[in-house]
Amino acid sequence: MKRFASTMLFIAGLSAAEYWIVPVCAQQNEAQPSAPQQDAPSLAPPPPYALPPRGAAPVEDTPAQREAIAKWKAKAELAAEAARKEYNATVTPAYNFHYGQKNPFTPGNVKVVGEGFIQPGAFPSAEYCGTCHQEAYSQWRQALHSNAFRTPFYRTSVNLLIRDKTRGISFARHCDSCHNPIGVLGAALTEDSKVDRGQIDSDGLTCATCHSVVSLDSTNGNASVKMGVPAVIVDENGERIPGEVPFSMILRHPERHSKAVMHDFLHTPEFCAACHKANLPSPLNDYKFLRAFTAYDEWQQSKFSQRNPLTFYTADFTTCQGCHMKRNAITLPDYGAKNGTFASHRWLAGNTAVPFYYGFDQQLSKTIDFLRAGNYLNVDILGLEKAAEVDATGNAKLIAPLGKVSYNLAPNDVVTAFVVIQNKNIGHSLIPEVRDLYEAWVEFTVKDANGKEIYHSGFLKPDGMLDPRAHSFTNRPVTDEGEFVDNHKVWTIHSVAYDNTVPAGRSVLVRYQFRLPSDASGAFSVTAKVNYRHLRQSYLNNIFGKDDHPAYPVVEIASRTRVLKIGDNQPEAADPADNADWMRWNNLGIALLDQFQYKEAVDAFTEVVKLRPTYADAYTNVGLTEIVWEKYGSARTAIRKSLSIEPNNARTLYYDGLLQRRAGNTAQEIADFKKVVEMFSQSRDARRELGITYYQQNDNPNALEQFEALQKIDPDDLTAHYNLSILYRRMGKKAEAAEQQAMFVDKKVDDGAPTYSLDYLRMHPEISTESIPWHIHSDLEDGAGGMRNGK
Amino acid sequence: MVNNWAGLKKAVRQFGTIALGACFVCLPTLCRAANNCPWINEATASGILGGDAVGQFTEAAPGQARVCVFTQENAGFRHTLLVSVEVAADPHERLGMVAQICGSNAAPLKAIGNEAMTCSASDHSSAMGEHIVGRVRDQVFTITLSTTLKNDPVLTRDALKIRIFTAAEQVSGNLF
Repeated sequence: MKRFASTMLFIAGLSAAEYWIVPVCAQQNEAQPSAPQQDAPSLAPPPPYALPPRGAAPVEDTPAQREAIAKWKAKAELAAEAARKEYNATVTPAYNFHYGQKNPFTPGNVKVVGEGFIQPGAFPSAEYCGTCHQEAYSQWRQALHSNAFRTPFYRTSVNLLIRDKTRGISFARHCDSCHNPIGVLGAALTEDSKVDRGQIDSDGLTCATCHSVVSLDSTNGNASVKMGVPAVIVDENGERIPGEVPFSMILRHPERHSKAVMHDFLHTPEFCAACHKANLPSPLNDYKFLRAFTAYDEWQQSKFSQRNPLTFYTADFTTCQGCHMKRNAITLPDYGAKNGTFASHRWLAGNTAVPFYYGFDQQLSKTIDFLRAGNYLNVDILGLEKAAEVDATGNAKLIAPLGKVSYNLAPNDVVTAFVVIQNKNIGHSLIPEVRDLYEAWVEFTVKDANGKEIYHSGFLKPDGMLDPRAHSFTNRPVTDEGEFVDNHKVWTIHSVAYDNTVPAGRSVLVRYQFRLPSDASGAFSVTAKVNYRHLRQSYLNNIFGKDDHPAYPVVEIASRTRVLKIGDNQPEAADPADNADWMRWNNLGIALLDQFQYKEAVDAFTEVVKLRPTYADAYTNVGLTEIVWEKYGSARTAIRKSLSIEPNNARTLYYDGLLQRRAGNTAQEIADFKKVVEMFSQSRDARRELGITYYQQNDNPNALEQFEALQKIDPDDLTAHYNLSILYRRMGKKAEAAEQQAMFVDKKVDDGAPTYSLDYLRMHPEISTESIPWHIHSDLEDGAGGMRNGK
Repeated sequence: MVNNWAGLKKAVRQFGTIALGACFVCLPTLCRAANNCPWINEATASGILGGDAVGQFTEAAPGQARVCVFTQENAGFRHTLLVSVEVAADPHERLGMVAQICGSNAAPLKAIGNEAMTCSASDHSSAMGEHIVGRVRDQVFTITLSTTLKNDPVLTRDALKIRIFTAAEQVSGNLF
């Protein structure tokens, strides 16, 4: 009967098409429909072009040619202007200006040159660009940017916002400013939209999106850029000529093409920050500003930026593009190639779900290779503790570093393995950005010589769900009811119950406790892996339905296996991928510091001192740990020792500045911080501390200078907001003071937020345990209050 | 080229009047004509059909199909985009039934909804069309894009295949 009914309705629909024509005029958009492509379509062959010799001067135009270009420009400008005006006249009356006429794109931060909306047809198509940039086009088509909008992974989430009873599609401008900017700028995000969405939805971030940006508005994120009227060439005076032009015009003046589409900022991390930094503003959540993610700031604080003196390690300056847009040899014609190479437009990173869904096998395999190739993580089974072997204070003795020390194991021994995972060469945290959706975790196994499993943590259950007690690099955003925001309804987030990540350059210590069998003999293999899945299984279930989708790829990013023997274990040769011993201790110290295990951290850093007595940072690490431990006397000794080795070590000077403040040596305190700022002008920590010092000395002008500089580096720094509000008020700048005060109040963590987190943690003991920095994973019923193999 | 378009058209003609009558007499609330198609807007449909299209959305009671029809009238011929969506208790079984519209010519289609199939339909005389059937979770959808013009210069066979894919992306995207 039900089937009959639906058949009837289906047929009724058909009959409507045949017989019921309701004469309502449709609004035709100027953009012509074309095919959204699953994969790169075959493009027309590029027009003939001979690359000019390297360093050749641009071609000189004849007066007639100049005149022709000027005529073209005048015509193109008129046409673009008229089309835009007509378009605005069509779309504006029906547009929902939810945030007021002056804020058509709020809650996104995107802006556009000129008045009103800009018609999608103003953006040259990807196929147009692809004619001469076939390599870039084919890569882009499989990359996340071109699929930023249309994927089910995104649509499921944004559709919830659109369907939300108290919000709706105008709120989705927050998300779509980055995921579908042409749609936002083209007034597509409104009820009863008059915009043809076929092409824009399929192409997401098309070529002309990034390459039409004319300036970066700030590093606030949420698409904080200004979009120009798209142009692929400028005239001889550098003025943009809107719209598509004949290829011959570009090929005659490639330098003018570059000037239009290749702004210098495209090479900078600040450009990526526009969308790889996001906040949840009060216009979206009716609550308050919450920082969602900020891969940019994580990079800025990493060793790769060379802007932060406080990193534990150093590295060559590397931008986002340096890792995610590496130059590769071209396989298709591309007139933008230099020496046969082109900056990758695949933006290889961690997204395996999109190529898996679309069947982009090449993108998927390259993404997996990328994840595995980069020496990004180091997994170190660093040490063991035996419950039966304690030191004079009653604490278990740490046998470390494994591979370098002898020890003995016996049947029935209760062993705790220390696994140190170092975020060694990622320029941001593990996992970055929306880590509520991604899944990276430690899988730890102990097996006997026959492969029989003795202990296993971090397994996947038959339904694909991760062992709930796995050590997972994830977070748990929660609502004001203390419920996990499982479906990425970010506007309902009020607190984060826990956030288990490994910041760039830092390390985490994961402890696993197990008992060797009573009949144990021979060798045991102990393996620690870092696995990664995009996306979390329960989110995939939200999208496709439980048991209604294939298993998404799990990628092993890094692993290490060690063999333990019953009886004597002797030192063994290091694996080529192993860190040097001093670094193993150093990483343990960093991990213990982050777990607030200060004594043990100092012990670990002291091992580094023993191995590298002339390594200044080893002493600095001891000193900084003692500072946070409030052992200022011994901290001074360590910092002085470090400065005696490297008097101009900015990192050490920073900590010396803190100690000088404590001792009341203001002049030296200022001198230290100033020196750090001189060496690292973008050190937010040094700027902040120097500003505080000046403020405390009533040196308002200098304090102001530091806080304003700090705010330029980090527009969300609370100390800057707070102090600037006071300083501006003292200067009589009431409006600026009020603005800073408002931002401070909006951005300050809600004092009530922990309540929501505690509600969640109370209901989820497995996560509650994980949320404690020091915890142990155990399969023992009488273990240290730890976790029992997922049971 | 498959030959099930003729059957479909015949069914439409055969049951069209009955269906219309049913709407007027029994199910007036199901036949409220409006342009607010939940899965694809009129401008997008116009782009797919190649000119100004007129849309009509037919709401349905729970468990029955909701239908959007967009037509673009030309001198002597018509382009039609039809979208039907129903929530099924057993979506796998229901999709199998709906896919019978394709006969044995259903070709799997990657990256549309949870799963989807496509096929061509033509009666070799005056009509040509494409179908995509698929589902998003428990929502089963059928999309038909057709022209009544033989050798249509706009909706060629290739264009039909490309444009119905655009429609399917829109529909499935909005069903997620």
